[in-house]
Amino acid sequence: MTKVVEISPTTRHEGHSKLVLKVNDEGIIERGDWLSITPVRGIEKLCVGKTMHQAPKISSRVCGICPIAHTLAGIGAMEASIGCEIPQDAYLLRLILQCANKLHSIALHDILALPDMYIPGTETKINPFTPEEPVRTVAKRIQRLREIGQIIGEVAGGEPVHPSNPRVGGMYYNIAPQAKQKIYDLAKEALPLAIAQMEFMVAVFKNFENRDTITVGKSTVDLPKTFGYHNQGYMAVDSIFQSSSLDFDPKWDPNRWTDVSPWNWYMGEVTVDLEDPDYPIGGTSKVGTKAWPQMQACTSIPLYDGQPVEVGPRARLVQFKNYDHKGAMGLNIAREMEYPDCLYTILDALDVLDCNGSVLADEIPQGDGSLGWNANEAPRGCDVHLARVKDGKVQEYNLLVPTTWNFPTCSRALEGAPWQLAEVIMRAYDPCVSCATHMLVVDENKKIIAQKLVQ
Amino acid sequence: MDMLGKYKSCVAARSTSSEILKCSQDGGIVTGMFVYALEEGIIDGAIVAGPGDEPWKPQPMVATTPEEILAARGTRYNISPNMSVIKDAVRQYGLDKVGIVGTPCQIQALRKAQLYPVGLRNVTNKIALAMGIFCMENFSYQSMKQIVEDHCNVDLHSLKKTDIGKGKYWAYTNRGAVSQIPLKVTHKYEQPGCHVCLDYVANMADISTGSVGTPDGWSTVFVRSTNGDSIWKKAVEAGVFETKAIDGIKPGLELVTKLATEKITKNQKEVEHRATIGVGKGLRNPYI
Amino acid sequence: MSNKITLGHVHMSGCTGCCVSIADTFQGLFTLLDNYADLVYSLTLADVRHIPKMDVALVEGSVCLQDELSIEEIKETREKATVVVALGGCAAYGNITRFSRGGQWNQPQHESFVPISKLIDVDVYIPGCAPCPEVIRNVAVMAYLLLKGNDAQKKLATAYLSPLMALAKDGSRIESDSEACGCDIMLKVVNQGLCMGCGTCAASCPVFAISMEYGKPNIDREMCIKCGACYSSCPRSFFSFDVCGDYENILGAITAAMNPGGN
Ligand SMILES: Cc1cc2nc3c(=O)[nH]c(=O)nc-3n(C[C@H](O)[C@H](O)[C@H](O)COP(=O)(O)OP(=O)(O)OC[C@H]3O[C@@H](n4cnc5c(N)ncnc54)[C@H](O)[C@@H]3O)c2cc1C
Ligand code: SF4
Ligand code: SF4
Ligand code: SF4
Ligand code: SF4
Repeated sequence: MTKVVEISPTTRHEGHSKLVLKVNDEGIIERGDWLSITPVRGIEKLCVGKTMHQAPKISSRVCGICPIAHTLAGIGAMEASIGCEIPQDAYLLRLILQCANKLHSIALHDILALPDMYIPGTETKINPFTPEEPVRTVAKRIQRLREIGQIIGEVAGGEPVHPSNPRVGGMYYNIAPQAKQKIYDLAKEALPLAIAQMEFMVAVFKNFENRDTITVGKSTVDLPKTFGYHNQGYMAVDSIFQSSSLDFDPKWDPNRWTDVSPWNWYMGEVTVDLEDPDYPIGGTSKVGTKAWPQMQACTSIPLYDGQPVEVGPRARLVQFKNYDHKGAMGLNIAREMEYPDCLYTILDALDVLDCNGSVLADEIPQGDGSLGWNANEAPRGCDVHLARVKDGKVQEYNLLVPTTWNFPTCSRALEGAPWQLAEVIMRAYDPCVSCATHMLVVDENKKIIAQKLVQ
Repeated sequence: MDMLGKYKSCVAARSTSSEILKCSQDGGIVTGMFVYALEEGIIDGAIVAGPGDEPWKPQPMVATTPEEILAARGTRYNISPNMSVIKDAVRQYGLDKVGIVGTPCQIQALRKAQLYPVGLRNVTNKIALAMGIFCMENFSYQSMKQIVEDHCNVDLHSLKKTDIGKGKYWAYTNRGAVSQIPLKVTHKYEQPGCHVCLDYVANMADISTGSVGTPDGWSTVFVRSTNGDSIWKKAVEAGVFETKAIDGIKPGLELVTKLATEKITKNQKEVEHRATIGVGKGLRNPYI
Repeated sequence: MSNKITLGHVHMSGCTGCCVSIADTFQGLFTLLDNYADLVYSLTLADVRHIPKMDVALVEGSVCLQDELSIEEIKETREKATVVVALGGCAAYGNITRFSRGGQWNQPQHESFVPISKLIDVDVYIPGCAPCPEVIRNVAVMAYLLLKGNDAQKKLATAYLSPLMALAKDGSRIESDSEACGCDIMLKVVNQGLCMGCGTCAASCPVFAISMEYGKPNIDREMCIKCGACYSSCPRSFFSFDVCGDYENILGAITAAMNPGGN
């Protein structure tokens, strides 16, 4: 008989979300709904009417873990709408910034993913904050990698969390030669650390994948061979950076994207009838708790070619590097494999950066209301911002952020796993839930859906 | 109130470099110190009041060469918001050891920012040398212009140097003329924010310096912090400055104390007066 | 001073940038956790699902009045924590959520966001977006000294925290005159005849909304995100001669606390 179990709130990721799971007698998930329950700050709506310069500064604050991606995608969307090309050196600074953010973000995810994992060859799970070795050495390395990412962000981006330097038309400032050297030195220092960290993490994830059983709280469950598998497709526009509607050959197509409302996608009202007070830490929701995913979900469901797609590190490696490792660990491993490229790209970009070059476009048009978009390959996946700017003001703004894309895909990947491991699958997506809120399109041919949803 | 602040030593000093003294305001202490610190790797750049876009208007700048530091010599009696580029120094310029010169209020701003670096992450811990300059009051650009052009009858373009000393405001021209006006005339032009200022000799600087107390061409120097002390000693040992004990100097510390006391007492009164300025209302007191 | 304090991170409607800033104490994070504070709650960093009792709660994000869960959580935080810290512009002042006006899918009724001090009493403010890790570190160390230290240490901690407590008190007043915006710089400093043109406000703004024009701040209100950094960093907002004059000792004490092994 099917029972309902709810894990709320989920932990070790950004934002608030929960898992509502229908499971069979063996505790295997038959249908899983993973949804955001973060209050909707309404970034897309509140930006309407604001200046094109301010809107991306606001949308940066949609998420503090990929803020650089949001800033760059937001600014890129404004530039795409007004038709503004930026100078080469501004582009290079943005590229450096992008990679710095990814470096810090992968390292942060290591901290969040490790507690689910075992020290290879032992039955000990990893607490990243323990002072004991070998964990402390790894934890220190993670923090140093994050620190380097954040310092590069400070220098190239003005601020490490929400970058200040990027602006519509380019950048506020170019960096001085000494600052360039600083980034170079830091990237050089980080490269061997990143490779060592990648190797360590890949070993840890492979060790997990090869286990037969996993212990969660007081229960030990079998690990299925197809743990976290799904049959959805992938979406990625670039191996590292971005594509936009200004490109000669844009890699994303707004016409292939549709939105479905949570009402039409998630479960209806259910009552929890299975609980586990020993589920770490604090137990699952009590029997009798009502859950209503289709009403509670805070995001819409974006589809590409009518289907949910996976975005993120694996999507990029599948599209651009012939990668084919499936499942939750395949995704975790893919993320690790992006470590070195962040640094190679920074070093390459520095080689061509001219510190004396102008970083601001000569002319910044004010916009005529055309639709422009920029798709940025954020750490967690493709982050598409779409905007219409007229007379310097934002008329319309949409954020199709990575976790919004991944919600439905990950929900499918839950099927077939023991419910106790649902959070492990979810964490493989490194969710950033606060950002995952977005409203509906008012594109001509899609007005009908929008209207239906508003009713 | 502690008029002269804590200090480890006080001397009369001047730079031993004639090149620096050529255009420095007094004993070239600030410029001499920064050039030395830069060459020794104690700092890798300094925030100074560089040339601005209008005559005699200072523009805060991050100087990373001795030439740039030299170009910023001399006092401009109008506001140079030196703290405004402190973040740029560390980020845009990528400096790890920053020198900064500032009036007492700017050094206060710096110390507050070091204790409460709100919005200044990873910046204020990079300050390696804070040079304070004595300050009785400052002026807005327009005020300074009016003093020089209307009262001293000197065109800003031919101005070579201005100075405040011996109770007068002095303007020297490039062609050798000197005008002086009594300070009384300048009072109305002072920056209002200066009237609540309770520090004359940059009590919170690593090293602070000014002309008062020592003869023309010399400076009074207070060495204050542990950091300032070690750098000062090294510089003197390296022969960057010649020094004399302050005790034998006229007018010496007596005058410095007198002026500091006058300033602080007057401004303390103003702070109290402000609390009663409206009907049943007062202006804000930043010190509580 | 052996026992640690307990510390939690409570996430309201924020972006987690504040949480990242806690983690951005980098190696210092380990020193804090090894010696001074146990992290007993943080949805982002740990597995604990429900708010436990704790000494210090670092709250990130504002509160959505249309989300009952959020209101319950913030009240629970007040009940369970001895010291509540509004961490970052959103918790302290609302920040960008001050612009929220609802109408967005899938919860268009989520319209009103208020700083946490509008619903509960808050003890300490840490303004800024994102807040500065060094301030977080300083507050954590001072909170430790306040709760576990000897009399001299308690006195120092109180002196250090007072201005941040005063900001919280001001924000907690229903009719607070803090806009948490560049306007504060105008209203409470320049308009009060207190500005002397140091430029600290301009340096601390995370969106370049302040430029210095002829020695005084000019606010671009179409850029300001209402983070509150400029006003609190201004030396003429609050300035304690006792604390700032003792900067060498205080910074030295913090550095020593962060290097317990002395390396
Ligand atoms: C507004 C003001 C009022 C002063 N009032 C007094 C006083 O009452 N009594 C007294 O003894 N001394 C006063 N001084 C200090 C004095 O004029 C000299 O600046 C000081 O003695 C240093 O001289 P120096 O030869 O060592 O420095 P120099 O080698 O000439 O270097 C001076 C440094 O100060 C910087 N600077 C110039 N103008 C400004 C400015 N407006 N704001 C910040 N930095 C600036 C320059 O960039 C340079 O780096 C005042 C200075 C200023 C700016
Ligand atoms: S008098 Fe005080 S406030 Fe005015 S410029 Fe000098 S130090 Fe600053
Ligand atoms: S203050 Fe800034 S960093 Fe913190 S939650 Fe708000 S937007 Fe994010
Ligand atoms: S002006 Fe800048 S620092 Fe001040 S509140 Fe606005 S955004 Fe924050
Ligand atoms: S920080 Fe300085 S320039 Fe800005 S308002 Fe305060 S006193 Fe004026």
